[in-house]
Amino acid sequence: MSIIKTVDVKKWFGDFQALKGISMEVAEGEVLVICGPSGSGKSTFIRCINRLEQHQEGEIVVDGIELTNDLKNIEAIRSEVGMVFQSFNLFPHLTVMQNITLAPIWVRKKSRSESEEKAMELLERVGIPEQAQKFPGQLSGGQQQRVAIARALAMEPKIMLFDEPTSALDPEMIKEVLDAMKELAESGMTMIVVTHEMGFAKEVADRVMLFDEGLMVEENTPNEFFDNPKNDRTKLFLSQIL
Amino acid sequence: MLGKVLKNFDIRTFWRDVRFLKWAGQVLFLILFAYSLVLFVQTGINNLQSTNIPFSFDFLGDTPGVSIAEGFETLPDSGLRMLHVGMFNMIRIMIGGIIVATIFGTLLGIARLSSNWIVEKAATALLEVVRNVPLLVQILFFQAFLLAFPRLEERDRGEIMFHVSSKGIAYPWPERQESAFMFFGFLLLTIYLARRVFKWRVSLLEKEGRDTNPFLWSFLTFLVLTFGNWAGGYKLMGIIGLISGYISAIFDSIPSIAYQGLFSAIAVFFAFRYIRKQIRNTDTGEIRGILSDDDYFRIILSGVVAVFVVLLMFMPFGQNITYFLEGDELFYKSNWGMPQFFDGVAKRFDFNISGPPVIMSYPEIVQAGTTKFTRYSPDLGKVTTVGYFATWFGVTLYTAIFISEVVRSGIMAISKGQSEAGLSLGLRRRSLLRLIILPQAFRVMLPPMGNQYLNLAKNTSLGVAVAYPEVVAVGQTLYNQEGQTLPVFLVWMIFYCSISLSISSIINYYNRKMKIVER
Amino acid sequence: MIRDSKFFIENPYGRWVRDNLFSSSSSAFLTFFAGFMVIYSYRGIVGFILNPERMWTSVTYNMKLYMILAYPDEAMIRVWLSVGLALILGGLSIGFYNSGKTISLGGIFQKLFTISAVIAILIALAPTNTNVIQNDGSIEVVEIIPQDVRMLILVPSLVLTLAFFFLRNVKIKNLFNTAKVNLTYFGLIIASLYFIKIPTISLDSSGERIIPDPFLPIASTTYIPWTILYVGMLLFFFIGSLLKNRDIKIMARLIPISWFLCPLFIFSWIFKKPLVELNTVFSADIPSILVFGVIGFLIIRFSDNESVGVYRTPINIGFLVLSIVVFLLPLVFIFKATMVLLLLLLIVSPAIATTKEGKRQLFIVWVVSLFVLTFLIRGASSDTMLVTPTGSIFGGFSLTWLLAIFGTYASFPLGLALALGRTSTLPVIRIICTGIIEIVRSVPYITWLFFASVMLTVFLPAGVEFNLIIRVLILTAFFSGAYFAEYIRGGLQSIPKGQYEAANAIGMNPFQRIFLVIVPQALRTIIPTLVGSVITSFKDSSLVAIIGLFDILRIGTSVIPAQSQPVVFIGRNLEQLVFLSFFFWVFTFVFSRRSMKFEKRLGLGER
Ligand SMILES: Nc1ncnc2c1ncn2[C@@H]1O[C@H](COP(=O)(O)OP(=O)(O)OP(=O)(O)O)[C@@H](O)[C@H]1O
Ligand SMILES: [Mg+2]
Repeated sequence: MSIIKTVDVKKWFGDFQALKGISMEVAEGEVLVICGPSGSGKSTFIRCINRLEQHQEGEIVVDGIELTNDLKNIEAIRSEVGMVFQSFNLFPHLTVMQNITLAPIWVRKKSRSESEEKAMELLERVGIPEQAQKFPGQLSGGQQQRVAIARALAMEPKIMLFDEPTSALDPEMIKEVLDAMKELAESGMTMIVVTHEMGFAKEVADRVMLFDEGLMVEENTPNEFFDNPKNDRTKLFLSQIL
Repeated sequence: MLGKVLKNFDIRTFWRDVRFLKWAGQVLFLILFAYSLVLFVQTGINNLQSTNIPFSFDFLGDTPGVSIAEGFETLPDSGLRMLHVGMFNMIRIMIGGIIVATIFGTLLGIARLSSNWIVEKAATALLEVVRNVPLLVQILFFQAFLLAFPRLEERDRGEIMFHVSSKGIAYPWPERQESAFMFFGFLLLTIYLARRVFKWRVSLLEKEGRDTNPFLWSFLTFLVLTFGNWAGGYKLMGIIGLISGYISAIFDSIPSIAYQGLFSAIAVFFAFRYIRKQIRNTDTGEIRGILSDDDYFRIILSGVVAVFVVLLMFMPFGQNITYFLEGDELFYKSNWGMPQFFDGVAKRFDFNISGPPVIMSYPEIVQAGTTKFTRYSPDLGKVTTVGYFATWFGVTLYTAIFISEVVRSGIMAISKGQSEAGLSLGLRRRSLLRLIILPQAFRVMLPPMGNQYLNLAKNTSLGVAVAYPEVVAVGQTLYNQEGQTLPVFLVWMIFYCSISLSISSIINYYNRKMKIVER
Repeated sequence: MIRDSKFFIENPYGRWVRDNLFSSSSSAFLTFFAGFMVIYSYRGIVGFILNPERMWTSVTYNMKLYMILAYPDEAMIRVWLSVGLALILGGLSIGFYNSGKTISLGGIFQKLFTISAVIAILIALAPTNTNVIQNDGSIEVVEIIPQDVRMLILVPSLVLTLAFFFLRNVKIKNLFNTAKVNLTYFGLIIASLYFIKIPTISLDSSGERIIPDPFLPIASTTYIPWTILYVGMLLFFFIGSLLKNRDIKIMARLIPISWFLCPLFIFSWIFKKPLVELNTVFSADIPSILVFGVIGFLIIRFSDNESVGVYRTPINIGFLVLSIVVFLLPLVFIFKATMVLLLLLLIVSPAIATTKEGKRQLFIVWVVSLFVLTFLIRGASSDTMLVTPTGSIFGGFSLTWLLAIFGTYASFPLGLALALGRTSTLPVIRIICTGIIEIVRSVPYITWLFFASVMLTVFLPAGVEFNLIIRVLILTAFFSGAYFAEYIRGGLQSIPKGQYEAANAIGMNPFQRIFLVIVPQALRTIIPTLVGSVITSFKDSSLVAIIGLFDILRIGTSVIPAQSQPVVFIGRNLEQLVFLSFFFWVFTFVFSRRSMKFEKRLGLGER
């Protein structure tokens, strides 16, 4: 059973076509890693999945709901899909606790105490329960990204999207974020991860895709992808990045 | 194309379709806005009709029957003319203010960054005083200060060089003569020629590698031509007058339908170009597949504007729109004032004009008419009245202070990194400021500087408090006479909006030009 | 070279002089030039002020007129209560927000040293004579500061300067809390009312002018009230400190709210003395409180009820329709205002009223705000019981304050709405808001004031009439609203796109996104600009003098210079304008300095 299915998704920015027809499926509990050169449309694609960008042609179906202009569908999909950004995007005027409980309280209409309990649980899961009352500006980059993961998880999503979650981090902080993501993958979460961390891809991913110039040029298991790439473009990419 | 717009549009759930919600919300907002506007205006019209002063612009043509204290015309024969005097008075203060405030403000801003303790502190003190006192209080103070000077008495009568009294400040002034237009026209030509000579010598220098004295050459050109100009060379400019006479005749013979057609065509042409720009790919010229909400909106808006202009031109009342203010010379019948304009030019650039372009004129204190009062002669020298002085000085000083802040922060923004770079090149402090920091800081300073100019333009309206007849004061006089408050307010609004628009477009123009240079 | 002499190199003061005044020959020239200019202007100003032609009694005698115009004498206590309320709140906040910063005795002496040194220098430089222009145009020289008076001030200040100079370096461990030190300074100023004498004019019982004792104390009626208020302020300072030590959290919310409500309360009840009719209270206010109290209770009670939750959308729409109906019906104003409050409750209650405790707290807040709102509106909309010859109880400085404060209050929400509209992605809304902002901004304030004074009435439906002050307030709200909108837009644009995206990604709807995420951040970044624009509107409020409102400026320029009873002050414009400049200067300068410090402390300036 695929939980995400896209058919021939196309997207233009003005004159520029960023996605030139992407068709793919993701099964429930699967971890998919997308990589590719800069500007190839990776971010654009996963942002289309939760409607941060609007695709103009093609179909996107998430958990049986088609992403159309229907407000109800958009809301339903957004509440099932969590997203973690490259630049964290935490709300700087709220404490860590408030950041995490904001959506459960206002969007899910849960009680404050219940959401705070849940938030503490999540903070423990990502390993920073002691930072709950601090403001994001007082945390390190790695800690901020883990708060962002907790914030996304607080909505109890079925799917998590990660857009280069570690590329704004110092090397010593990357590991703590990747660990949190690994733990999440092991717990059975469906994940789409845009990343250049090939170690993570080898270890955790079920499938790896390569994007180039708005097209998906290769889709493969990690082992095949790294050891035995089919496509010349993939070989070139791997030779540059490894 | 419509298919793309309506793609996935499900009629059963249309009320929660994002696109529907967006446009429905906007249309609703527009309707509400338009409705309240109409309601507002309707109430106004009804109320005005129930009083016995219905809304009309007639007063613009009527003789106002009041005089203006100063301006290019003190007894205007129509309301519109009177407003022109006020507008001119306002622009006079604005331009003088902008020039002086910029110079003084820049000096003050540099003084605030001076390493000299006393200069820095003095500048800061001046800033803190002027900035924290309301401008109106300052203007009233300058007025009261001048009014406290002795009055003009009989014993003061006679020729003078410079005089201050409660009537104002009198000083000598070069008086413009008939030939001034031609003289200054020739002067512009001279400057242009001198520049050409300079460039030519410079290019020669670069080509041949020897000193060609470009500056000396252009200066000599300027000197020789100006001398010739003064000696009567300006008569050459009579050619302009001759040509203008012919142009005027041509414009006179064009029928009014041609103007209507021309303006409609211009409107349609621009709308067409604009719409094409929206839907064509900028690089390849293909028609674009996907348009955003904003694109649709712009296309619709420009189309509507074009159609509106065409209708305005060809509707029965549209022909008359140019002279709905009957009897006033600015709104010419059907020919948009073209012949009159060129006639005016022809009159001022005439071969038969002679004599020096300016004559120095000295002020004199004389008897006022046949009364027993004494005053400065209105025709001799130059007299700065109390109202003018108070408004101009107050507005200029106030703006200069804010400009100094702009200059200071502009320099500070640039100088941090650049100073070190410059100093390491071995530049001295002063040349560093002049060659490196100021040119760059100018770029940062331009937009906030433009804001200050806008503020200055608006602040000139405080002249009304010291009886300086600028456009607000004149308007007030007019509606006190005629009771037509609303039309006067509309005139104010249009006037100030166009002033603001002109200032900001000039600033934007320079801003864009600088950005291009930067690349 | 002198510059290289021992004094300039080794002595720290010498080195300072060399580096800051004579660093190069051009700098030395500038020093002399600027020094000459400064001293010359200073002497000119002193000569101007002490010139025997000036009649400063025209200012001191009219102080009450300046502050409150024709406010009735028998109700003076209300004026003092208004001032007192602000001072008490000030004392409370100083105590509660006391940062605990300290200053050493040496630091205090350093300040005193600077002050006395400046005084000594100023006295030494002051001119002895000044020129008086006679009526026939000739100039006469008169003495303004006799030598003995100069010495009388100069010698003690020199002695003090020297004393403080040496005391500066005393190493005493005692540190003083700056808040307390500042309060002491304030106390000293108030104490000075008892000692410092300022010439004024007094009349005997038959209204004849008593040839004045040149050094009569400043208005003898003011020092007792000031003393009482000062004591009250001190008292509340200590209460504030106590609350801080007890760590009472709720005060941190109550104090800002009180500051917000304080002017409303002052202007609608204390200053106004409203004529409240009991039958309107019974027929409108109490029913309104009861009805809305019950509705509010129901909303809070059932907001998390499962079976009601299904019908949430219809219920919300129902309330929206109801509020529009309430607005269109000819109901009393209280109902309409409370309806807005109710909509607010409807929005927040699902988020807060989720537990028993939350419900209880929300209900208390609801009831309290109902009462406060009704109370304020009752006061504001009633007539006043006070009778004044000018027809309005506001005049002079009280009017200036009224305009400045209410201009800000009304323009802020409007500015926020316009700014949100202008940054909206919906083109129609954006264009309309942009148009409104740009048109309002490009026309000067004074023309809008003329619009308010002579044109606005034309656009009001028959039967609706506002007095000039209200009309001015309406237009001011629009005008400064457009300015606020531009500042707020600056703040909104400084919010990174990621914040919008993050809010979208966690499923917030546009309203939640704007009001929970974007606006709070935007406002935080522009607080300094907003403070600046509040100061601007305070200064701008002086423009109402032109359209005939009796604000402090108009009193100074038209009322006093026309006084001939009991003393002839005709034509005394210059004195008033100098005083007014000083007066405005003190307020704006102190306010901007204080707010700068405050911003630094809150760390709001940077982000
Ligand atoms: N809002 C936008 N407007 C116009 N063009 C855009 C926009 N967002 C992305 N693009 C363009 O779309 C293309 C794909 O961008 P995208 O961000 O998806 O790349 P990416 O694969 O994520 O690259 P990176 O690894 O650098 O993040 C790029 O060429 C980019 O310039
Ligand atoms: Mg990307």
